[in-house]
Amino acid sequence: MKVDRRLSSFEMFTLTSILIGIKLTDTTPSLFSQKAQNAFWYIPLLAFICILPAFLVLLYLLYKHNAKHFVHLFELLLGQGLGKSLAFIIFILSFVMIALDSRNYVEQIKILYFQRSSILIIFVLFGSVCIFGAIRGIEVVGYTTRIFWPFIRISFFILAALIFESVVWQRIFPIFGAGVPVILEEGVSKGSLFLDFFLLTMAFSAFRKPSQFIKGGLIGLIFSIAEITFFFFLYTTVFDYNSIEKISFPFHEVTQYVNLGDFFTNIETFFMVFWLLATFLRFILLLYLITWLFGAIFNIDEFELLLLPMGFFLMVIGLLPDNAVVTELIYRNKLLNIITPVIALVPFLLLLIHFFKRKKDLT
Amino acid sequence: MLKKKTQTKEILNTKLLINLDILKERFSFGLNNDFSIRLITAKFNKHELCLAYYASLVNSDKIEQTIIQPLLEQEGDSLFDVITAESITKIKELEELDDHINNGKVVLIIDGESFGYSIDVAQFQHRDISQSENESVVRGPKESFTESLHVNISLIRKQIRNRELITEVQKVGKRSKQDVQLMYLNSVVNDQLLDEIRSKLTQLDVDNVQNIELLEQFIEERPYSIFPTILYTERPDNAATYIDKGHVVLLMDSSAACLILPITFWAFIHNVEDRYSRFLYGNFTRLIRFIALFFTSMISSLYVALSNFHSEMIPPDLLFAVTAARERVPFPLIIEVLIMEIAFELIREAGIRIPNPLGPTIGIVGALILGQAAVEANIISPIIVIVSALSGLTSFAISDPSFNFTVRITRFIFIISAGFFGMFSLMIAFTLWFMYGASLKSFGVPYFAPLSPTYKSNSDTYFRKAIKKEKWRPGYLLPKDLQSSRTFERGKTK
Repeated sequence: MKVDRRLSSFEMFTLTSILIGIKLTDTTPSLFSQKAQNAFWYIPLLAFICILPAFLVLLYLLYKHNAKHFVHLFELLLGQGLGKSLAFIIFILSFVMIALDSRNYVEQIKILYFQRSSILIIFVLFGSVCIFGAIRGIEVVGYTTRIFWPFIRISFFILAALIFESVVWQRIFPIFGAGVPVILEEGVSKGSLFLDFFLLTMAFSAFRKPSQFIKGGLIGLIFSIAEITFFFFLYTTVFDYNSIEKISFPFHEVTQYVNLGDFFTNIETFFMVFWLLATFLRFILLLYLITWLFGAIFNIDEFELLLLPMGFFLMVIGLLPDNAVVTELIYRNKLLNIITPVIALVPFLLLLIHFFKRKKDLT
Repeated sequence: MLKKKTQTKEILNTKLLINLDILKERFSFGLNNDFSIRLITAKFNKHELCLAYYASLVNSDKIEQTIIQPLLEQEGDSLFDVITAESITKIKELEELDDHINNGKVVLIIDGESFGYSIDVAQFQHRDISQSENESVVRGPKESFTESLHVNISLIRKQIRNRELITEVQKVGKRSKQDVQLMYLNSVVNDQLLDEIRSKLTQLDVDNVQNIELLEQFIEERPYSIFPTILYTERPDNAATYIDKGHVVLLMDSSAACLILPITFWAFIHNVEDRYSRFLYGNFTRLIRFIALFFTSMISSLYVALSNFHSEMIPPDLLFAVTAARERVPFPLIIEVLIMEIAFELIREAGIRIPNPLGPTIGIVGALILGQAAVEANIISPIIVIVSALSGLTSFAISDPSFNFTVRITRFIFIISAGFFGMFSLMIAFTLWFMYGASLKSFGVPYFAPLSPTYKSNSDTYFRKAIKKEKWRPGYLLPKDLQSSRTFERGKTK
């Protein structure tokens, strides 16, 4: 029986939410607070405002050209050679980004829960869940995300509710933190925070209707950004700027801070379960998307066979940096700054060509 | 060889004597004790005729009263005027002849005619209808299927009085031809689905499929999967509910149950009683069942993970209690848990196989050995007894026998995985386990539909809606008629 098994808008919403929203749990807040101090909580919002037009343009073009994914769109507009090379640049950038990101998450697991274990073994386990999860295909990743999303959000919500009593509102002042220019600079240069969404457009054709992708994606983005901003706001008001700079993983710090009544005083493992679930799903999805991107660039139809080598290489690159601090503050920071102009400007370039081509077609 | 056979079909002869020889040879007359041939001279046309049947499959009173007596005494123009049995069909081919005799019919062959008559007098022996034992309910019909196709069909028809309820027959098995009945609502069920099931059944190239339990394993897509993809139920009311939704039910003689397909994950958690109970009560039961599902699959592994790797999570007072209880136990925690879980499974298996009069004994011995003596001998700690008893008992809340196995096997996977890296490896196992489940399909239907992917349906997943709000048939079955209730449409009441 041919049942339509493709994804719909709610799955898109949850996928976006897992991809973007989960960043509130990693080292991103401490990265931002290095420069912006206590004003870091609205930097994601600024970054989002900067990058939103680019995404809208990209979605518009995908929809207009009825493209399968963004590589297809590049090829349609830029021609095969140029389109593929541009896609390859994006592939390299996001590949390194995902590798560093996965290292970041593995470090979190190691530092917070398994201090005495070898990073290699944790990384291998982490890599294997990504590979074996991704092998099930984008649809299954979508279903799973859709089913677990409510539980993950409820756990986050419980965390927010529990930490609320420790919030000191006055800590958001001075509202501009280290100064307006610094904040604007940080905000503009960190648009690459949303690189994952760019990658998610690889799955444009996996949905029942393109409009469902766009609808789910946009609502998902707005929801995630609201969630990130809200949590960053909580971090600022709970920790204040001096300590937030020194805390690597504010989310986990918060989970260790809260207690549920007098009896359950250490409930971080409860939150860790849902966080792990979200992290797995996020990297399963990222691994699938990056392999899909690779397959699209080199015209490999059965790209799912590449998941294993791709996951392996991600792990190898992720293992290269010496420690978490270097990964985070040097490599990831630099990379974020490099990626931003690429993903912010490429859609506009495409738009120009789109209009130019249309004019040519009309004449 | 087989092809050749079907091309030239052997047929009956006009001479009775030749036909008799054929019959005797085919059915090993004389050697085969319960195969009987009766020769009579009919009164109405003075011809000789023979009756052939298996004495063990037919109702001998009926033969006497509706066939033999009229043939000997009645006058009439044709056979149809003489015989009083309710159904007579003409047969020509020898293969048909085999089929009919094997299915408990009397075949009547008259001298001078090149065909026979098959008269239905079958009386297969079977058990009476009894109460459902594996899926008992408090509220709702109590009867369950029995090992007779006719009785089972009548039990379903009793609940769906609709001429569109079709009972289609398909033969399976090459040597022993068994009937498989497909039951479905013609105006609802998806034709593609039906074709798929039919072709699966006709493609079966096996000598004999005895019953529905074996048939399930022949037609399922993934025989090695940990998850079942076909629902097995012994309740006719359950079957009727699914037929109404647009599923297909398979029935066979000699099985006191039916197969329902396609099916989703939720069907294994749901119980018919959830719908028979009022909205709140039914959903409360569902909640309890989901908690049971969580406990039975997770509690032992959580105990391993928490006490081995995340002991800070356990409140200090409780932690002291646990460590004090474990103080004199020599085994590592995971071994202790595995010992208890395996012991529980052993008792369970032995409990099923044990002869009935001994049943209570094993319960007492088992409880005594595990609960009391093992703790006193410091082989296991009392906490483990609680944990494994909880996980063992809650497993009974999952009433579906197939899914029960899924959960019990899963429990061991989780316990072992929790032993490696605590919560981290447990979540890895859980994610992969779940994603494997989500990737399954039952005859094309995604396993976790309609929760994800979504389809128009009553969204009967975790909880059910009020009966009045149930308006749709499940969209993932692609039924011909999606809407099942029009009584309470928005704004108007008919």
